[in-house]
Amino acid sequence: MLVKLEEIEKDFTTRIEALAKEADLLNLKSEFLGKAGKLSEVLKGLRNCSPEERKVIGPKANAIKDLIQTQIHKKIEALEIDIINKKLNENAIDLGLRKGRFSSSLSGGGLHPRTLIQREIEDVFLSMGFEVLDGPHIEDDVHNFEALNIPADHPARDMQDTFWFNDPSASDGKGNLLRTHTSTIQVRGMKERKPPFRFIAPGTVFRCERTDASHEFVFNQLEGMMVGKDISISNLIYFMKTLLKEIFKKDVEVRLRPGFFPFVEPGFELDISCLICSGKGCSVCKQTGWVELLPCGMVHPNVLVAGGIDPAEYNGFAFGLGLDRLVMMKYGIDDIRHLNSGDLRFNEQFKSY
Amino acid sequence: MLVSLNWIREFVKVPQEIDAKELGLRLTMGTAEVEEVLSIGQFWEEIVVAEITHIEKHPEADKLNLVTFKKDADSSFRVVCGAANVRVGLKTAFAPIGTTLPIGLTLEPRKIRGILSEGMLCSEEELALKDKSAGIIEFPEDAPLGMSLKEYWNKSSDTLFDIDNKSLTHRPDLWGHFGMAREFSALFHCKLEDRFDEDWKRGLESKFSKDSAPITLNMEEDCAGIIYSGISLDGVVVEESPDWMKEKIESVGLRSINNLVDISNYVMLELGMPLHIFDRDKISGSSLNIQSVKESCAFKTLDEETRQLEIGDTIIGDNSGPLVIAGIMGGLSSGVTETTKSIFIEVANWKAAKVRKTSTRLGLRTDSSMRYEKTLDSRLCYRTLLRTIELVKELCPKATIIGRPQHVGVNLEEESDLILDIRQEEICRVLGKELKLTEMVSIFESLGFGITEKKGCLSVTVPSYRATKDIDCSADLIEEIGRIIGYDNIEPVGPLLSVTPVRLSPLHHLKRRIQDFLSLEAKSLEVNTYPLIGAELLKKCSWENEAEELKLVNSLATQNDRMRPSLVPSFLEVAALNQKNFDHARFFELGRTYLKGDKSFSKEDDILGISFFDKNSSPFLDLVETCEGLCRFAHIPSDLTGRHPKFKSNVIDEQWSGIHPVEFLNIRIMGKMNGVVCSVHPLMLKKFKIKGHLSFAFFNLSEITSRPLKEKIGYSPLAKFPGSRFDYTVTLAKEESVELIFKALQKIKIKECSGHEIVDVFSPGNSSDRFITMRSLFQDPEKTLPGDYIKECEEKIITGLRKSGIGLKSS
Repeated sequence: MLVKLEEIEKDFTTRIEALAKEADLLNLKSEFLGKAGKLSEVLKGLRNCSPEERKVIGPKANAIKDLIQTQIHKKIEALEIDIINKKLNENAIDLGLRKGRFSSSLSGGGLHPRTLIQREIEDVFLSMGFEVLDGPHIEDDVHNFEALNIPADHPARDMQDTFWFNDPSASDGKGNLLRTHTSTIQVRGMKERKPPFRFIAPGTVFRCERTDASHEFVFNQLEGMMVGKDISISNLIYFMKTLLKEIFKKDVEVRLRPGFFPFVEPGFELDISCLICSGKGCSVCKQTGWVELLPCGMVHPNVLVAGGIDPAEYNGFAFGLGLDRLVMMKYGIDDIRHLNSGDLRFNEQFKSY
Repeated sequence: MLVSLNWIREFVKVPQEIDAKELGLRLTMGTAEVEEVLSIGQFWEEIVVAEITHIEKHPEADKLNLVTFKKDADSSFRVVCGAANVRVGLKTAFAPIGTTLPIGLTLEPRKIRGILSEGMLCSEEELALKDKSAGIIEFPEDAPLGMSLKEYWNKSSDTLFDIDNKSLTHRPDLWGHFGMAREFSALFHCKLEDRFDEDWKRGLESKFSKDSAPITLNMEEDCAGIIYSGISLDGVVVEESPDWMKEKIESVGLRSINNLVDISNYVMLELGMPLHIFDRDKISGSSLNIQSVKESCAFKTLDEETRQLEIGDTIIGDNSGPLVIAGIMGGLSSGVTETTKSIFIEVANWKAAKVRKTSTRLGLRTDSSMRYEKTLDSRLCYRTLLRTIELVKELCPKATIIGRPQHVGVNLEEESDLILDIRQEEICRVLGKELKLTEMVSIFESLGFGITEKKGCLSVTVPSYRATKDIDCSADLIEEIGRIIGYDNIEPVGPLLSVTPVRLSPLHHLKRRIQDFLSLEAKSLEVNTYPLIGAELLKKCSWENEAEELKLVNSLATQNDRMRPSLVPSFLEVAALNQKNFDHARFFELGRTYLKGDKSFSKEDDILGISFFDKNSSPFLDLVETCEGLCRFAHIPSDLTGRHPKFKSNVIDEQWSGIHPVEFLNIRIMGKMNGVVCSVHPLMLKKFKIKGHLSFAFFNLSEITSRPLKEKIGYSPLAKFPGSRFDYTVTLAKEESVELIFKALQKIKIKECSGHEIVDVFSPGNSSDRFITMRSLFQDPEKTLPGDYIKECEEKIITGLRKSGIGLKSS
């Protein structure tokens, strides 16, 4: 009997090979497993066997039955997949016809490069407990000059070419103007707060200056101010180094040298090691290896007083960063005028996706 | 400003071992920004005396010789030379390879007609000594071989520091070499040699005579004059200046004119105080009047330009009229000429603001006005006057002083010193660095400050030349210490701070959400445009408000001469620019608009503007959808509505002729029309040469964030019972909006109705009607709605629609 079973198995495996239709497969199944099937026929003779023989033949017969069932099932499934796949292939889409390749499609949107840098800086300062403020663009003489220790005849006004709405001399220092720096927000920030406080203020500023590839009459700055007890130059250097490390994602060499700004005392120019030549000297840094990045300093006592703060009790530092300059440095933009041009060929290079 | 190191070395022994670059760096780090370190006259050190030993003809060229020569006993060089006067035994000047000649040429190894030349034998022309010379220099026979011309001819080389004038704005004391030398002395710890001491002063004063002064001085009270002093000299001879003086003033960029003019420049460059020398014979009468101009008049200045003087300008004049514009420039008629015999020297101090005002108006910034603008120290006038006398006497030994110096103006005896107190620990605390008291005292003293110290408290007497505007509080003193020790020597340390939460302001937060939504969901690009625009653009847009009230008085160009009242004009410009390069373009801006304020001068609003452009079809509905999505995303409660008879848009003039007749929707936000979506009228598009369809949306963010925006996400339990839907088709005339159906449905109140949707729109070509298939949804969270109740609801909808004039499609 064992021999017969092996023959059946062999017979089945040979015959199933040749079949390629579901009906034929089902017929084959019933030919072997049906009531009058070959396997059933063999098993009918089982009762004549000794118990020892049954122990061998029984499992063997069951194994063959399982084999036939799974083989038939598998083959039918494979046939079905073949049919579906054939249909799918017939209706295949063109994988190259992606939507983004059509002229009618919109490519992804994105933020202005200035926004990208501004957000990054805002987030660095937010994480260190700085608020983010802004104020009006149209300011008065007091906020832009007087309260910042720049009285009417101060030579420092030479450095700032101001856009005036009224004749500055006619209205006796009460003229309206376009703010020439975000330092106006120092004044506003101080008046609205009690020390200790710290904030930054990114914003648009205006200078009556001829424009060229590196000068604009409308550009953006980012002001920072911190007022408290016992604030030191050493603290100022700490924040500036931290900021630059976060922006440039590496330790940047900085140097602090004296610089004159009426609203700080002592005042500094902060230079960073030229990123183009790594400090070796090139045309960008005029062979000095250093690039002037931001003016900063300890808030002048007169400025604190104008902001309603007692300089005997509190002091602080302030800094101003040329945001547009940083944007240009970071992305290698050759002409500042692109920033306000609205030319989407420029903006689209800063797409988010 | 150019500073000569040789000149500095006259006052302070700057260590020789520190090279020029390092000196410049230390000056930058401690005092003022050095833009460039230049070396001049280097060639005098490199060019040496050489003797010709052999001459042969150049094999390739008739007029050239191959000249062999030596610069010491054993050396031998050969150059190709074209000079006719070459001969064996001639001693001449040899410039080796690498020398940069004054004509700007740097010698490099070079082949002339195939033969290598090892440098150059020089003519006087090539050393810029003469305009033309016939051959190479011929030195006398005893000229020592190998000696540099620097030594042989006593020529000098120098290092110049080009200092950024802006970094000296607050330091009038540094506008002369003597003041700058003081900085070197503090920075390099070497003593300042003050030759202008009491002995020097007494020596010069002994030369004053007992004669009465030929010129008397009168000064008006309200003019620019603070103090005015002068002295007369006779018997001067105007001639060329000696070489040492020429060399010095020319090294720092001034031109030598004659001895007297050069003296006045020299003293200014040395001591930082300008002065003026009159030809006394040209002063009419015997007095000089320092006074304000009484009526405007023309005046010819030294530079031969005619300038218009106005009332309020200060001049020095005689009885014939103005001679000098105070602190700025002298007149052509009274200046020193070659025939001048007697002079009057003026040294004065002027009010900075007045000088600045006149010089700015005249557009005439001179070496003199630049210095007076910085506020000079009146106490320096007398020293300057004495130094000028000293030099006149030196250059014109026969000159005699007539009388004594005359003064008018403030009494310097009454001026008191500025004394500031500061504690040692205050300096350390602000710097963030521990410093010894002795260290501080030595820095202050090296800068000319007087110090008395008591228990860590310093009483600092500020020198008058630093007290004019620069130093007036203790913070200024801290800077003096900080800059001399060097800020780079301070370690960065984070402060100890209390921890408080910070958040972005609602407006700032909203802006960030808008940027995210519009860039990611609406695929738009963020742009920035100019807040300043011009009347021409406003006219082109037919914009009613031409913003005359917010016009600048000193604009750069008419297209940027006023503040924009709206983003619309800029948006039209940008859309026009981009339609050249894009078939569809979406951009947005978070910008400001500026209007005349009711109570204040101006009112600024933060505005969001969005622009969708499409060449082929109107992007209006896409933009509406974007705005609806944006409002949901930013938690702005909003609904779309048409024009309202009473409530007008807050963000656009509804009467603007550029608005499309159909494609216009107000967005009502918190009861006000704070948003709008509209398309631009084809006629307006034509004006801007825009071919396609353009839609704009604007939101007034300042208004929107005036009240807090609340997040409106809420949860309700999931429905346990099935809902049901009712589909029906209605007829609508083609010109009527589907909006009508929704408005009609809104009027039908069914509690269980949870919404209506459009299923399909069918417009048969041959019909004037459209057929709209609608679906209404019914749902009761508490129970399954019974069939007959649903039937009732369906009837209600059909009758309701019919009441509004909308009928079911007849089958």
